Amino acid sequence: MKSMKRYFSLALVLVFALTVALTGCGSKTETPAASTETKAETKTEAKADAKPAGEQTELTFYCVADSQPEMQKIADAATEYLKDKINVKVKAENFGWGDTYTPKINPMLASGQNVDVVFTSNWAANFYVNANAGYFTDLTPYLKNSKIKEIVGEDFLKGSAINGKNFAVPTNKEKVHNWGVLLKKDLADKYKVDPKAIKKLEDLEPVFEKIKAGEQGVYPLLNVQMEGPFKLLDWDNISDDDIPGVLYSDNRDTKIINQFESPEAVALYKKMREYYKKGWIHADAPTQDNFSEEMKTGKYFAVVQSMKPGKAEEMKLSTNIDWVQVDITKPIMTNRETTGAMLAIPAGCKNPDKAFKFIEMLYTDKFLKNLFVYGIEKEHYTKVSDNVVKLTENKGYRAGNGWRFGDQFSDYLLDNEDPQKWEKFKAYNAAGLPMKSLGFVFDNKNVENEIGAVKNVVQKHYKQIWTGAVDPEPALKKWSEEMKAAGVDKILAEMQKQYDAWLKANGK
Amino acid sequence: MDNSTSIKKNSLNSISFGSNIILNLIFLICVVACVGPLMLVLSISFTSEQAIRNGGYKFIPREFSMAAYDYVLKAGDAIWKAYGVSIFVTLVGTLLSLMVICMYAYPLSRPTFKYKGFFSFIAYFTMIFGGGIVPWIMVYTQLFRINNTVWILIFPYLMNAWFVMIMRTFYKTTIPDAIIESARIDGAGEFRTFFVIVLPLCRAGLATIGLFCTLNFWNDWYLPLMFVTERKFFNIQYLMYQTLVSIQYLTSGSANFSEAAVVLAKLPTEGARMAIAVLSIGPIIFAYPFFQKYFVKGLTVGAVKG
Repeated sequence: MKSMKRYFSLALVLVFALTVALTGCGSKTETPAASTETKAETKTEAKADAKPAGEQTELTFYCVADSQPEMQKIADAATEYLKDKINVKVKAENFGWGDTYTPKINPMLASGQNVDVVFTSNWAANFYVNANAGYFTDLTPYLKNSKIKEIVGEDFLKGSAINGKNFAVPTNKEKVHNWGVLLKKDLADKYKVDPKAIKKLEDLEPVFEKIKAGEQGVYPLLNVQMEGPFKLLDWDNISDDDIPGVLYSDNRDTKIINQFESPEAVALYKKMREYYKKGWIHADAPTQDNFSEEMKTGKYFAVVQSMKPGKAEEMKLSTNIDWVQVDITKPIMTNRETTGAMLAIPAGCKNPDKAFKFIEMLYTDKFLKNLFVYGIEKEHYTKVSDNVVKLTENKGYRAGNGWRFGDQFSDYLLDNEDPQKWEKFKAYNAAGLPMKSLGFVFDNKNVENEIGAVKNVVQKHYKQIWTGAVDPEPALKKWSEEMKAAGVDKILAEMQKQYDAWLKANGK
Repeated sequence: MDNSTSIKKNSLNSISFGSNIILNLIFLICVVACVGPLMLVLSISFTSEQAIRNGGYKFIPREFSMAAYDYVLKAGDAIWKAYGVSIFVTLVGTLLSLMVICMYAYPLSRPTFKYKGFFSFIAYFTMIFGGGIVPWIMVYTQLFRINNTVWILIFPYLMNAWFVMIMRTFYKTTIPDAIIESARIDGAGEFRTFFVIVLPLCRAGLATIGLFCTLNFWNDWYLPLMFVTERKFFNIQYLMYQTLVSIQYLTSGSANFSEAAVVLAKLPTEGARMAIAVLSIGPIIFAYPFFQKYFVKGLTVGAVKG
């Protein structure tokens, strides 16, 4: 009898829970419906009297970066600031990097959700695929009379366009890249390395020798996964780093080659083997997988990195180690930069005009830009001088990464950064050599299977050879055979065909 | 003497000394294989960062440190909120899901129910065919409009055809028709029969399905990934997923942007990641002993006789 009562009460609880759920659900379904109604109203109203700040509409802004605890505060501040400008209620969120951001945004675009501004690039939210699928609004007409054109520069905008149409607006930041090495400062000073005298990796060999002999437990060269001396060969990649198909980065010809078998690469493999045998590269290098963690150990003297002005200071912030920057290759402007960080307006957006104005303000409005980068003044940062800020201990908002959107040159500088940083960036941009292939987009749909297969082969072999852990000649022979079997020739032929057609069409 | 007789006595039912040792060893290895990695994670989460970098993973922390937990717990209120979301979703979701599944399965188990075939077919059909991701998302975001409410983390998983099948078999095998008949003779209606007679007899089945549902809800990061765009509805698994996959992506070499190195260096370290992992298995590990006593019975009854 007692147990019967107990189960009856359990059943009652269940029923109650269901009612709560259903009513909860009911009320929830009502609110968005109501808000869409008001949205529809505002739309007609805005059309009727065309006031710059009509009734408040919602504006969603999704970006890469780690999700920040106090994002809501930033969004509220932006809403307040934009009230008499474009009058939107800002909803913003970051969804991590790359593989967590992309699967989140892609279904949103594919299902046509009402999203206003999203981050996209060649490495996040598949810019080329989504633009070709028609998921982004064509921004070319908007850009025609926009200040963005002046700020970013017409060349760069053209570089990020697909067949002359801009589906996204690139960030105004460093527009070129080069490769170089970071040297650990204490060791560089101890062994009296003159950074200016180093023009290539080989110039460091005498120092490597001394360090190997003199410093217990220090490895002269870090070589982990793709982050190693192979980058110093500086290819103009047609596709990803692990897919064969590159051009020489000095614009010497238009022939697409397999970089992994090029004479330059073979020479490098031999050199790495030599280094590895001498113990200049960590014996476990082929299985190490996190170069950033390795860097932080302070057990490495030289690290190959993508350079830009102030790189050493930037890495000091994140690794707590002093570095000396040595630039090795010349700056070049490739597709990697032109489509590296952009904002797009999805086709499902209900208010593209307002969305575009918001994007434009990220280029022209210093306050709004810095709000999304550094947070709220006195809460997340304090001003040291007019253009220099110091981050506070509060960790509620640490988005940073001003290169993600807008005009990075309007960002405040951190107190430990070079006050000339932006001037140096501009000079660096001016020195860059634009690649002939700028604006060429490889469409992989004819060779998708081959690319998958070749990629697997590359992933299987490159680590051992690049780090010098195996004798390069027999290993490369095997690698080449496997690539051939997986269809590398077909990929290269397809790339060449598309590239030649594109060159012709663009009169180059 | 005594010893040998006792061995003789049990020799029919017991196994030999040798195979006993071997069996024990096998299970011991299984236990170590299951518990070992967990202990390693626990140990790493309590090791100082510098010790991890220099010494690698060790079962006994070389330098004991709470820094990882300090970092994770102080990183705003995110962890606690996510915990709250996870616990709410798991509790409410499991209860609702059990309710729906039990009530769907019960009529299917009754021989007197006329449209049994039709309703079984509907459930079976969803096991084999799906509408695809985009339509599925559109249903919730544009028809029901429950994305960015906590219910989006519950409703898509409420009904599970496979569990319905298990539960139906369970009813069939544990509830004799005679009991239901006698209940009807005593004047009980359908609901009374179900709640007062049938469900209490199916505790083992409920516990089994309950545990499955609990794990489903607790371990889910896919629904937040697909639907949730507001931080207050992130659950603990999604927070962890975001951190781990971001790091994986940035180290993979496919992160083709020059700032990857800087971004990566700012992300939580080894220890912090392990601390999140420990925190996320925390509460759910206590659900096991609770369900265990029913679990074995529930599974075997559902499976063998079915």
